Amino acid sequence: MAQETVTTLMVLGLTAQKAEETKKNEQLTSVLLSIVNQAVEECNGAQNIDRDVGKLLYILATKLPKQFHCHLPLLTTYVTSRKIDQEAKLLAAIKFVQNCIGSTVDAAALEASCGIGVTVTQDQIEAGVSSILLSRKPQILDQRYKFNFGALMAEARSTLLWADSKKIKEEFDLQILTMLGPKSEEDLAKSVKASKAADKTKLSSKEASITANDGNAALQNGDTTTCGLSILELLRNAPFHKPGENHKSEGYVITPNTKDLLQQHLKITAGKVRTRFPPEPNGILHIGHAKAININFGYAAAHGGTCFLRYDDTNPEKEEEKFFVGIRDMVEWLGYTPSAITHSSDYFDQLYTWAVELIERGLAYVCHQRPEEVRGRDPPPSPWRNRPKHESIKLFQDMKHGKFDEGEATLRLKLTLEEGKVDPVAYRIKYVSHHRTGDAWCIYPTYDYTHCLCDSIEHITHSLCTKEFQSRRSSYYWLCNALNIYCPVQWEYGRLNMHHTVVSKRKIAKLIEHGIVRDWDDPRLFTLTALRRRGFPAEAINKFCASLGLTGAQITIHPEALEATVRDVLNSSAHRRMMVLEAIRVELSELPDDAPSLITVPNIPGDDAAGSHQVAFASVIYIDASDFREADERGYRRLTPTQSVGLRHSGYVISVQDVVREAGKVVCIKASCAQATASNKPKAFIHWVARPALCEVRLYDRLFIHESPEDPAVVPEGFLSDINPSSLTVVSDAMVDGSLVGAAPFTSYQFERVGFFSVDPDSSEEKLVFNRTVGLKEDKGKN
Amino acid sequence: MEPSLVKISKHCDNLESTADLLSQRIQRLVSEKAGLMNGAVARTLDGDDGDDELHSLRSQNKKLKYRKNILQKSIDEYCLSEGVEAGRSKQANDAAPSVEVSLHHMCAILQNLEQVFIRAVNQAYPQISNPPSVQIQLSKMADYQCNVAMALAKILKENPRIVAQKVLEAVGKSPVIGSLELSGPGFINITLSQSFIREQVTRLITEGVTPPPVEPITVAVDFSSPNIAKEMHVGHLRSTIIGESICRLLEFVGHKVLRINHLGDWGTQFGMLIAHLKDRYPDYLLSPPPIADLQGFYKESKKRFDDDEEFKKRAYAAVVQLQAHEPDHVQAWKLICDISKAEFDKVYARLEVRTEACGESFYQSRMEELVKDLDSRGLLSLEDGRKVMYAENCTVPLTVVKSDGGFTYDTSDMACIKYRIHELGAQWLVYVTDAGQQQHFKSFLACAQRAGIYDPSAVRVDHVTFGVVLGEDRKKFKTRSGDTVRLVELLEEGLSRAEAVLREKGRHEVLTPHEFEKAKTAVAYGCIKYADLCHDRTRDYIFSFDRMLDFKGNTAAYLLYALTRICSIARTAGVSQEALLKAARTAPLELAHEKEWKLARALLRLPDIILRLATDLYLHPLCEYLYELSSVFSEFYDNCYCVEKDESGTVLQVHTSRLLLCEATATVFKHSFALLGINTLDKM
Repeated sequence: MAQETVTTLMVLGLTAQKAEETKKNEQLTSVLLSIVNQAVEECNGAQNIDRDVGKLLYILATKLPKQFHCHLPLLTTYVTSRKIDQEAKLLAAIKFVQNCIGSTVDAAALEASCGIGVTVTQDQIEAGVSSILLSRKPQILDQRYKFNFGALMAEARSTLLWADSKKIKEEFDLQILTMLGPKSEEDLAKSVKASKAADKTKLSSKEASITANDGNAALQNGDTTTCGLSILELLRNAPFHKPGENHKSEGYVITPNTKDLLQQHLKITAGKVRTRFPPEPNGILHIGHAKAININFGYAAAHGGTCFLRYDDTNPEKEEEKFFVGIRDMVEWLGYTPSAITHSSDYFDQLYTWAVELIERGLAYVCHQRPEEVRGRDPPPSPWRNRPKHESIKLFQDMKHGKFDEGEATLRLKLTLEEGKVDPVAYRIKYVSHHRTGDAWCIYPTYDYTHCLCDSIEHITHSLCTKEFQSRRSSYYWLCNALNIYCPVQWEYGRLNMHHTVVSKRKIAKLIEHGIVRDWDDPRLFTLTALRRRGFPAEAINKFCASLGLTGAQITIHPEALEATVRDVLNSSAHRRMMVLEAIRVELSELPDDAPSLITVPNIPGDDAAGSHQVAFASVIYIDASDFREADERGYRRLTPTQSVGLRHSGYVISVQDVVREAGKVVCIKASCAQATASNKPKAFIHWVARPALCEVRLYDRLFIHESPEDPAVVPEGFLSDINPSSLTVVSDAMVDGSLVGAAPFTSYQFERVGFFSVDPDSSEEKLVFNRTVGLKEDKGKN
Repeated sequence: MEPSLVKISKHCDNLESTADLLSQRIQRLVSEKAGLMNGAVARTLDGDDGDDELHSLRSQNKKLKYRKNILQKSIDEYCLSEGVEAGRSKQANDAAPSVEVSLHHMCAILQNLEQVFIRAVNQAYPQISNPPSVQIQLSKMADYQCNVAMALAKILKENPRIVAQKVLEAVGKSPVIGSLELSGPGFINITLSQSFIREQVTRLITEGVTPPPVEPITVAVDFSSPNIAKEMHVGHLRSTIIGESICRLLEFVGHKVLRINHLGDWGTQFGMLIAHLKDRYPDYLLSPPPIADLQGFYKESKKRFDDDEEFKKRAYAAVVQLQAHEPDHVQAWKLICDISKAEFDKVYARLEVRTEACGESFYQSRMEELVKDLDSRGLLSLEDGRKVMYAENCTVPLTVVKSDGGFTYDTSDMACIKYRIHELGAQWLVYVTDAGQQQHFKSFLACAQRAGIYDPSAVRVDHVTFGVVLGEDRKKFKTRSGDTVRLVELLEEGLSRAEAVLREKGRHEVLTPHEFEKAKTAVAYGCIKYADLCHDRTRDYIFSFDRMLDFKGNTAAYLLYALTRICSIARTAGVSQEALLKAARTAPLELAHEKEWKLARALLRLPDIILRLATDLYLHPLCEYLYELSSVFSEFYDNCYCVEKDESGTVLQVHTSRLLLCEATATVFKHSFALLGINTLDKM
């Protein structure tokens, strides 16, 4: 039998080895076998199938998408009858049938579109090639063989439609040889530089390439080579289908109704892209959701479409009002406005009607297996699978009327998921009231059942979701088709995870309960509210998401990658101020009479448009303890008893005269003060404050010690045992430039030489509180 | 036609019987739950199991109720769609309470609106035998919202908007309602009448807080209950604070409250105390001994009791003598009790707690009678020389008489419940003890029921449980050395911590020494009480002076301070209390600014909250309300000038209505604090 298959495949001209390999691909093999059977019949025997025909048939089998296989016999006949005799014609025919959603094909239109019956003579080819070469003759003579002939060849192929491309190439080579003569030694010397540059372009274009569905490009450490692209630019080029061309995407299932449904769909959407962000309102949004928000809203925005915010509120037990509000706030914070806010529960009535319809079609049934029976691997099949339809309908109504206890009955779909799950549950009983429908229902639909149907109701064009849902794609399509309703296309992208954190609602609740973090928005967490509080600009988060690209691989990113993006954004937007963490008092003894009491300092050096602010200057200033050392040290460039230092922005240089100690600790430095001149130029300038305001500064570090606190192999005692004890340091007596008093919460600043900080909402009129957003990169190891 | 009718009614019957079955199950669950909640103590430490069980029962109960409701709706749906009478007699509505607004009390608005809508539903859809329950909630769109039409529409299979419209039209004239409006798919938004709000706020200013009365009954509240000769420790704090507040609350709504301090003044420990007393102060009968440190005295005697066999014998002999009412021994016992009670009274005086001591000793003769009675009725059985009593659904029997003939907690609790119900005539018993005693309560209530002492349909019993006091390390609250924290020391520390906080804020420079002292005491005790009361009492709570004395957040320190600020507004404007009262009586309140309305509405929520508290005995919603009110007030104060001054400080204009709103807010605060047992201050 096996040998027979191989022999049959070899009829198409495959080598024995290739046929052996092909056989392993069962799907392809079955398509090929049916083609061969037809071809053998049409050609009156295997011996009459020549190599060229065989090759084309093989191409036909591999290139025609599955959902268009109803056209296989037609195209096979065109090939065996030699009406299609070139690869180009075949490809045109394959493309053509993809526009025919129904099973009937307009033969005349097909033949016209793929050049059947058209032959291009050698004379026509000669004339065509000649006219193209003549039009560029001066350049060609100038550059000789370095001229890029590829582009001209492509031009020739498009003007000489259906001509054999091999013949075009031969004619080209001949005419060029005639024009230029054989290659001289100079022509052969390759430009080394040029080739290297070419390699480079190739490389970076590879990095920037976008892969959908099955891409694997993992991003390491937030490599920012693609950072240049904004989310809109990224998504503008996303390789998704055009609205209305659903059937052309891989794996789509075409039914006799597809054509009409797509036409209606286009009327309703006016051909615009429509996406949705569908969170379950049972928790708070985190960094992973930021990616989903960006992709869904971004894709719609990039194509002039609309995006809904849909609360997927089918599980009444877990929903809380505050999550609804919180989710919306965060979407808006990221800069997106939902074109409408919808709820899965809006469609409960329709979903119920459809469930009854499924039972009537024999595609769903009421089952009484207990939840614990069907849990785990390979559960026993349901003994109720084949019960009569009318029985299921009655029992389903009984479920709705409260006649069963929880767990005594479910509605199941007759369907097997890719992952092997048999007959997923569509409805289950819950005697719990729902925040929107009140006590109207005691049966609630599942995710599997609801999700695709809501997408369909809302006429979503692109149902974008994370990779885990790839295994639900077939059930998604099955369900829409079973009900004869519009079927959106599901596209998957890789989920974003973060190292050094946990994002699950339950785990964060544990952290709060144990007093490890203060609340859902504790800046050490990676919830979106936490990131906002820590001072991460929404712009940076969006940029970061764009930098990840549309890869299908699940990626886990180190927080540093996100922090780098934040730093980039803040560097060009955050105003500079001076803040001293651990202050030492400095009394200036010889302050010149004309010393100003206020100094004007630019908000962002080098950016005049950003304006300036005024900083107090006085005979008592404060500098950071780390900027003074009592003993000289090699390489230490700041203040010591023998080394003077400059005060940033002031134009003054100070030198130590006396050091006052109390109980051995330096409490005050008395210093002289002079205008900086060419002769007393200090080695370094330090930051300082005068007449400062006291403030509290919160310095954050990673919350967890290990990269993967949830991995039992690394952290056997559970994530709560992996807390970094110094994840929060509070400096309650830092000093900040007085001009900051009254700064609005969430405003970001760069404290010169210290880092980026953001005003915490805990700030009061009496005391400002700052969170460290990120440190300055160049901070490390500076002396 | 005939067969189909038969089929339908059969179906109805099926559903009906299922619903009945469920109701029974619910009933059983509810009574089980009541048993659990009121259950007494096997003095075990595994209170957690009880909590879990209770939790799961509650959620089961909730689900069953939900299911019953769904079933009921299904029946109505069937009947309605087939035009069949449900065949159930409609509940008479004659007894429905009047929906008029009393002229003598503040209106409990939620309660009033619920009645209005129950009537409206009955009016609009008399054919529905079991209308869905009417619940009114606060609404952001209007003042309140009623969603009953949604549930009705499901039953009727009609468009909820149409149903809502019909209900809306059936709402009778009500002085409370300003306007009704259909909203969304079928919600009815309720906006209060503006003149009603004005009238109610004015009443609040002139008459104070006057919630609608409840039917007064006699309530026995058993709380605090320390043991004689031992000192009160932090463990007694919660029972004392919560019990006192519950008493104040129930008294306020009009019940007759018996404040019972069930002192531990009877038991074997008195033998050793008396024996020791006789040794140390042989002439105790003539000159009362000066025992200042009763705790130390107790320890000494305990040590002798443990070490000295001969002393131990004498101690036992003393118990026998005491229980035989030998006069000298009774005298010694009284002496010890008096010293101890005097110490307790000092603590109660500080905390302004009122109790009436009625200790275990009081029941000695009643216990004897009780045992006789139970024995004669054959309710006791002998087990290992003990007389025990069993009851249905109660695995652990009560030990009514020990093998040595002595009585136990079980005996005294039985005698005690009998006394409270049958001699004191209490219709509601409240026991304020920690959650660990649930099992014990369950047992002795079951036995009391079996013995015919207690009838759950006539007497309500609540076991008001509370969680453990934890230290800032989240472990059981202890001193540094690991000892139990003495209540007196804790109060002392509270005073000095409060003083430090006030000094830090420079209050000693502003207040006279007398005012400062008053502020210190009020803040210290107020904070301790408030911290206890502002959390769900069934939870453990963390005792932290830093937190409770924080001037930010939901603390007494913050709220007391906020109140002094409110009080000072009128004072600095130079408007006297009398002038304000007069203004309130003579001119109608002017409310114009949106924040004025918001504040007025918030003030009027108090009666509903008080009624709810007095029903479920959880006090924290009042604290939450106060905190919320303080922020609503801030909004008002930030947006609305009460007094306008020019730069030199001369008063340009006084907005009397706004001062009246301040006055009303202060009244609500003061009344609420009084219920919580917290003293308020004019200056702080």
